[in-house]
Amino acid sequence: MGLSGALARLAVRATRVLVVEVPGHWATRMEVEHQLLRRGWRPAWTPADADVLAVCGAPGPELSELVDRLWEQMPGPRVRADITSPGTVGSALDAAAALLLDTPHHRTDAQERAQEPEIPEDADHGGHGGMDHGEMDHGEMDHGGHGGHGGMDMAPEGIPLAEGGEDRDGLEMDVLHLPLGPVLPFWPAGLVLRCSLQGDVVVNAEASMVDGRNDDEDDGAGAAGPSAGPAPAAVVRCDQVMALLALAGVEDAAACARRARDALLCGDEDAARDAVERLDRTVRRSWLLRSSLRGVLLLDRAGLERHGLPGHCRGDAHDRLLSRVERIRAEAGGTEPTPAEDGGVPWAVVPDLVTGLELGSVRLAVASLDLDPHPAVQAVGHG
Amino acid sequence: MAESVVTTVPGGWAVLAGILLCGLAFFAVALDAALSARAQGTGGGWGAPLGRAARLLRQRRRSTVAADTLLWRIGGAGMLVGAFLMIAVIPLGEWTLADLDVGVVWFNTVDVMVWALVWLAGWGANSAHGLVGGYRFLAHGLAYELPLMFALVAPAIAAGSLAVGDVAAAQDGVWFVVWMPVAFLVFLIGVTGFSVWGPFAPALAADIGGGVLAELSGVDRLVLQAGRYLFLTAGAAFSVPLFLGGGAGPVLPGWAWVLVKTVAVLAVLVWLRRKLPLLRPDRFMEIGWMVLLPAAVLQDLVVSLVVVWKG
Repeated sequence: MGLSGALARLAVRATRVLVVEVPGHWATRMEVEHQLLRRGWRPAWTPADADVLAVCGAPGPELSELVDRLWEQMPGPRVRADITSPGTVGSALDAAAALLLDTPHHRTDAQERAQEPEIPEDADHGGHGGMDHGEMDHGEMDHGGHGGHGGMDMAPEGIPLAEGGEDRDGLEMDVLHLPLGPVLPFWPAGLVLRCSLQGDVVVNAEASMVDGRNDDEDDGAGAAGPSAGPAPAAVVRCDQVMALLALAGVEDAAACARRARDALLCGDEDAARDAVERLDRTVRRSWLLRSSLRGVLLLDRAGLERHGLPGHCRGDAHDRLLSRVERIRAEAGGTEPTPAEDGGVPWAVVPDLVTGLELGSVRLAVASLDLDPHPAVQAVGHG
Repeated sequence: MAESVVTTVPGGWAVLAGILLCGLAFFAVALDAALSARAQGTGGGWGAPLGRAARLLRQRRRSTVAADTLLWRIGGAGMLVGAFLMIAVIPLGEWTLADLDVGVVWFNTVDVMVWALVWLAGWGANSAHGLVGGYRFLAHGLAYELPLMFALVAPAIAAGSLAVGDVAAAQDGVWFVVWMPVAFLVFLIGVTGFSVWGPFAPALAADIGGGVLAELSGVDRLVLQAGRYLFLTAGAAFSVPLFLGGGAGPVLPGWAWVLVKTVAVLAVLVWLRRKLPLLRPDRFMEIGWMVLLPAAVLQDLVVSLVVVWKG
């Protein structure tokens, strides 16, 4: 026991958690994020880096399958924690930490699981279904170097070769299919954006909601108890600001936004106001942040009308960030009542908005919009 | 130069140099963890490097479907090895492991190697995100590498030598940082660049699930991450003989001054990471070629004129 036990105890102090949010279970996810940081743990961005898989809420059939696939990709020692409500987060994480220490259990787990990575047989059309981070993403890595384009029947290790397509300049270029979501760091819960990439430019995209959720909110409410229901506007906005700042890579500012969010959530108004003020100053002062967000998804009046978007989406990602922080300030400070909501952005328009952008800009663009988590729009958009 | 200003020590001392480098890199990880903990309002954090290393040592390695395993592992392990190669030419006060005539070029050679290493680490996993990360790094490399090369030229011109010991010795009076601040700044940008650090980490960014790191677990991840910290440390250490007067300083012996200055530069680089956003490769390209490169060349011109004028 001695050495390996000590190693395990040391290792558990730095546990990384892959958080999967079932749409609607934002409160559980935020509580998990809050508690894992307090333990000195950190969120993981991919299953490869995760020790604990924390599933917030009860996933539907489609998401369940994806969660199982994520589980398969975790290197181990691995622990799965199903957390159905914010109240059980603490005990679930305690149990996960205890199980992580159980070295014999993990040894058995390692022997019993599949020893080689493989592509699941049921991967849907062309194999680009499902996988969230693009790991093992089938149908993608097939740059002509492996013997030219063509033959779709050529599929080394089950990965079909890429098909060519005309790029922006009319030249033939390989097309790669890469789904973004539903499990991706700082990404709207449940949203799946199936992108066709040429290089890292999105040439075509399709959006959908995992498990087709949008009209069955009661389902989520029933499972989640107190966690479901509409989130307070300021909390959601803080969460969105945190995601955008984290994607832009300003870690201190993102941490500040998270603290503001958690303070708002637990009703600590003074702390929230402090954090929001600090956030506001940081965001305004950083010219580097402005230069990196400038021009990302620039929407003018005509653009807003064409996509049927509300007026507060006007400008570029940086404008939207500033106006959002401004609204949080007003709400947290209580200086003025919340201005009349002019609605969020339905996820179905996302493909139209992001087509033609480079992958990094797509992420910033999506994070800069107030995506409506439960939109009335039902249709699946095509870009 | 007729005779060397530094003493070359036997190869066995390389072990001590390696330990010193690891110690400094450990400090960088601990400082980063402590700053992170403070920003999150969670306290503690100084012991985090041990926990993180233990976690990755305990974690199993993994592979992906049709991974190019050999190149993938070379990419990761190469980062670890490269940093040790770099410190071979950095004098610690009056001692050095290898007093190469072309020490500055040696440093540059190793940092160019990083291009291949990071890209291979991204390529090998056979994952779209890893590959996007690898190419993002190359795009950054195209923008920071030439300015970095011209920044390295400035101290060499002033000292009239490419040997690192001579460059350090040529600063007895005024440190090069005083009259070549632009070159120093560009050099630090280059160091963060080849360490895939801070603003230059879009290759490892959250928007592509960790990019080059997306598929790495266990000891493979540990090796690549450690390599980044070691490169950052080696780069900070190299700025000392090049711009900060080497071992020059009152009271303390030369080797202690080298360490103190290295720690100071390293701490600034670690602290800045949390404050600055990522520089998007497409946008930094313009800064690199339109601002940094002309600025570095201009700096070289000024240095050359001063050297000629002084005779």
